[in-house]
Amino acid sequence: MNRWTSGRPSVRAALAALVPTLGGCAWDTPMTTVIPRSDFAREIVHVYAIITWAAAGIALLVFAVLAVVLVRFRAGPGAPLPAQTRGHTLLELGWTIAPALVLLVISIPTLQVIFRTQAAPPAQALEVTVLGHQWWWEFRYPTLGIATANELHLPAGRPAVLRLEGPDVIHSFWVPQLGGKRDVVPGRSNQLTFTPQVAGEYWGQCAEFCGVSHANMRMRVIVDAPAAFEGWVAAQRATPPEPSGRAAEGKALFASRACVGCHTIRGISAGVLGPDLTTFGSRRTLAAGMVPNTPANVAAWVQNPGALKPGVKMPALGLTDDQARAVATYLESLQ
Amino acid sequence: MTRVERRHRAPLAGHPRSAPAPWVLATASWLTTVDHKRIGILYGVTAFAFFLLGGLEALVIRLQLAAPGAHVVSAGTYNALFTMHGTTMVFLAIMPLNAAFFNYMVPLLIGARDVAFPRLNALSYWIFLVGGLFLNASFLAGTPPDVGWFGYANLTSKQFSPTQGVDFWLLSLLILGVSSMIAAINFIVTILNMHAPGMRLMRMPVFVWMTLVVQFLIVLAFPPITVGLIFLMFDRFFSTHFYDVAAGGDLHLWQHLFWIFGHPEVYILILPAFGIVSEVLPTFARKPLFGAPVVIYSGVLIGFFGFGVWSHHMFAAGMGPVADAAFSVATMLIAIPTGVKIFNWLATLWGGTIRATTALHFAVGLVGLFTIGGLSGIMHASPPVDLQQTDSYFVVAHLHYVLIGGSLFGLFAGAYYWWPKMTGRFLDERLGKLNFWILFAGFNTTFFPQHYLGAIGMPRRIYTYAEATGWTLWNAVSTVGAFGIAAGVLVFMVNAWRSLRAGAPAPADPWDGRTLEWRTSSPPPPHDFDTIPPILGRDTFWREKYGPRGVPPAPAHERIHLPAPSHWPVVVGLGMAVSAVGALTHGTIVLVGALVTVVGIFRFALEHHRTPAHAHQIGGLGLDHRKVAMWVFLGSECFLFGTLIATYLAYRGKSVVGPEPHEILNIPLTTISTFDLLMSSLLMVLALAAVERDDRRQARLWLFGTAFFGLIFLGFQAWEFTQFVGEGLTLQRNLFGSTFFVLTGFHGGHVTVGVVWLLSLWLLDLRGRLGATDAVKVEVAGLYWHFVDVVWIVIFTLVYLIP
Repeated sequence: MNRWTSGRPSVRAALAALVPTLGGCAWDTPMTTVIPRSDFAREIVHVYAIITWAAAGIALLVFAVLAVVLVRFRAGPGAPLPAQTRGHTLLELGWTIAPALVLLVISIPTLQVIFRTQAAPPAQALEVTVLGHQWWWEFRYPTLGIATANELHLPAGRPAVLRLEGPDVIHSFWVPQLGGKRDVVPGRSNQLTFTPQVAGEYWGQCAEFCGVSHANMRMRVIVDAPAAFEGWVAAQRATPPEPSGRAAEGKALFASRACVGCHTIRGISAGVLGPDLTTFGSRRTLAAGMVPNTPANVAAWVQNPGALKPGVKMPALGLTDDQARAVATYLESLQ
Repeated sequence: MTRVERRHRAPLAGHPRSAPAPWVLATASWLTTVDHKRIGILYGVTAFAFFLLGGLEALVIRLQLAAPGAHVVSAGTYNALFTMHGTTMVFLAIMPLNAAFFNYMVPLLIGARDVAFPRLNALSYWIFLVGGLFLNASFLAGTPPDVGWFGYANLTSKQFSPTQGVDFWLLSLLILGVSSMIAAINFIVTILNMHAPGMRLMRMPVFVWMTLVVQFLIVLAFPPITVGLIFLMFDRFFSTHFYDVAAGGDLHLWQHLFWIFGHPEVYILILPAFGIVSEVLPTFARKPLFGAPVVIYSGVLIGFFGFGVWSHHMFAAGMGPVADAAFSVATMLIAIPTGVKIFNWLATLWGGTIRATTALHFAVGLVGLFTIGGLSGIMHASPPVDLQQTDSYFVVAHLHYVLIGGSLFGLFAGAYYWWPKMTGRFLDERLGKLNFWILFAGFNTTFFPQHYLGAIGMPRRIYTYAEATGWTLWNAVSTVGAFGIAAGVLVFMVNAWRSLRAGAPAPADPWDGRTLEWRTSSPPPPHDFDTIPPILGRDTFWREKYGPRGVPPAPAHERIHLPAPSHWPVVVGLGMAVSAVGALTHGTIVLVGALVTVVGIFRFALEHHRTPAHAHQIGGLGLDHRKVAMWVFLGSECFLFGTLIATYLAYRGKSVVGPEPHEILNIPLTTISTFDLLMSSLLMVLALAAVERDDRRQARLWLFGTAFFGLIFLGFQAWEFTQFVGEGLTLQRNLFGSTFFVLTGFHGGHVTVGVVWLLSLWLLDLRGRLGATDAVKVEVAGLYWHFVDVVWIVIFTLVYLIP
């Protein structure tokens, strides 16, 4: 945090100054870039505001001159030939130097923020390995020994360092309220460091075109208060309870079908091609943030994943309605 | 009287018994035309058709996004549509619409009768047409490309894009690159060497200047993407590893190669519009362009800086803070000359007597709208801000403000301004203003809200979104606006159609213009000007009309040589089309196409071998057109080989399996072949000297000797390649194999072309068809040959000698 962090509302104000209709728009949306909830995002908004104000000022100046010119110098009938002015060195020097000064004003905070936001992560930072897959996100916590998918939990107030790795094509990790995006490039290890500051649910989405279901590669980041985060970690580590009834039927189906080839459920299977489902029931959404995680949605998904998500690698398994409901019951029991 | 001579008749007129139908003659005359004005019209009409196609794609895109979760098209179709929309608008619409004006106007603006190489001009059009049709043939084949217009590796690899969509895309971009390169060289030579006597560089109209800058950008920026596309082609067709992460490849390679081209490309798209505005504003303010030299220098600076800022497209790619900072500052610097232009335009209008014609509406529209696009560009010149804006709808809004608000409005200004000159008829001004206001309103309704959508996090290239994101309302508004743009374009089409049918006739100088094109009839005669016009300074025609001094006496009438029609450009284009189709179907067809192309090139080259008017083509620089062209081409070749060599060096030591260079390269042997190639340069010098003094025996001896030494070099290379393959190093083995064979193979290809060229000259000489007047032809071949030798020294040093 620094003294500039009060910049938040001014991006909106500047945009609103530029175009009054924008003043009435809703800015508080799930993926807004102008309401920061981490140090990284705040640093960005600080620069964003300065530049937006500068840009709005220049735009208004140009439009005002243009308007004056068009009104004042409109030719009337029989207008005489105007003076054939060819230039004015001093004026032209002036409007070369003035923009240079404006750019200087913009570039100083820009450079500061570049280096501040890409500094080495602090030692106590929570490390998370982020893997961008076609078309879902895998989050591994190497120091905590847990893994999850499409829902990243982070503790508020503690720096997090995300190590971005790509097993297939280029993706881009972007959760606007927590900061700028960073590409996930196979063969390179990019990283992103930030400290989430306010508990809450933040939406993110892949920002680099990555194939047919690029639009369906979404995620949620849940920033918990430190104690709640500890609780979540403990729940992730717990062995899932032995299911009974319908859930047991579902478990048997899961274990006997192709599911085990791709998915891990601790104690049952060790597939790595799809998301780890050990605590699937605790997640809020299904299929990389596409739909709410309800039994009906899960049943529909396992019957025909391609209907929801074009190009998805998971095949339709040929389950009957009843079987699909049983599998859904089982998966939802994995809290 | 001025005598206009045309040495050849149209080819189909050679059958006196059965005279062909008029439409056959007309078609044939268009197919074989080499008149820059007709080629300009061909470019314009073709590009406008592609523009409509790209616009239709955009409308479907907007319909799909009008509501969350819409099902107008499937995800796959949507991805193909935005890929085709972007590729079409950049390469098949805006670039060739600019080319239409280059072709039609540049010779008129510089007081020339045609371009330097009229047949090459036709060739670049036909190759462009082939490239455009081939790209769109992907729809008919059912596999349009779906990887985005900048096709990031490795999504474009066979593994992740197994259909032929990417092949269609990369082959057509390669074809279009050839077209752009030929045209660019042609226009550089035309502008530097063919301007009317007295038209010094600083007297040239700003549109001509911007054209010149654009051609240099094309010549220097296309080689990197060409190399990038060739790597992609080798990866997809021959399983090399340029973009293969598992083999040690680096995915940033493509991004660098693409954007080293891609950013100058932005200026290739926008500078012609700046040029048009710089002509339109002074005419309708009835004042000279304010600070014209500064506007020109700014354009040159923008072009120059344009090469140093490409990585601002990669701030999210993870280049590290130092690179981010450097590219950020460089990008901000570009804003200065751009801002200067805007202010100079405003100052041009200030104090003028402004006539609010449609052309002026569009020009002023550009000044306003490009200001918005330029300023949003400065926003993402700041990497932290860019991290929130790149790949979001904010960038979509930005680039459309630049390319529609800038380029397209400029093109419309040019269309309304020069239409009377091109057609001899006026466009209707009332319809024109309707055209402007509908387009203006539609455009802003479509794209202004997209700034907001980007600011609330909507990523680009998504075919669907959830209601809860809050993106619904303004997407719907944006879609409505898109139909406004379509309506505006429709009004233009109606206006054009009505003008062609029954428009008011236009005089030679309808706008009280300032530049030379208004000095000749509307439309101009085939030979453009009866007499080469007097050049009195900047705005020469205005000075002629209003200046205090009298007009100097018209120069004595001269014999005008008009280029003869030729069908070989179409044949070469056809050959390339057949080869491209073959690449996606059957290898034999590639060979057939290549044969047609090669035969076509030979016939093209020899068509006027003995035409006296072609013997000397000395221009304003005091140099032969062909020599200037070769120098420009070699400049471009430097970038081509530079990119290949840089890739080799970047990938050195990155192979994950052997063999390594030091295990396999045979330095003593290659030293001998290098020496052989160096000696061939000596023989080349002797050959040229012999031709110049018309010593036929010696000329034959040394020409053959040079080619023979070239053949020895190729023999060494063939032997070396065979050895390497025997020792397990193939194109597919590792990164070293891929980079080594492609680099040295490309050089070998260049040597082969040189050998064929020299042997052709030798054969001409054997048949007594090469004399001292043809020395320039040998000299041009020699320039190429020496260049290829020098490149080899660089390759030999960097690849073989430096471990």
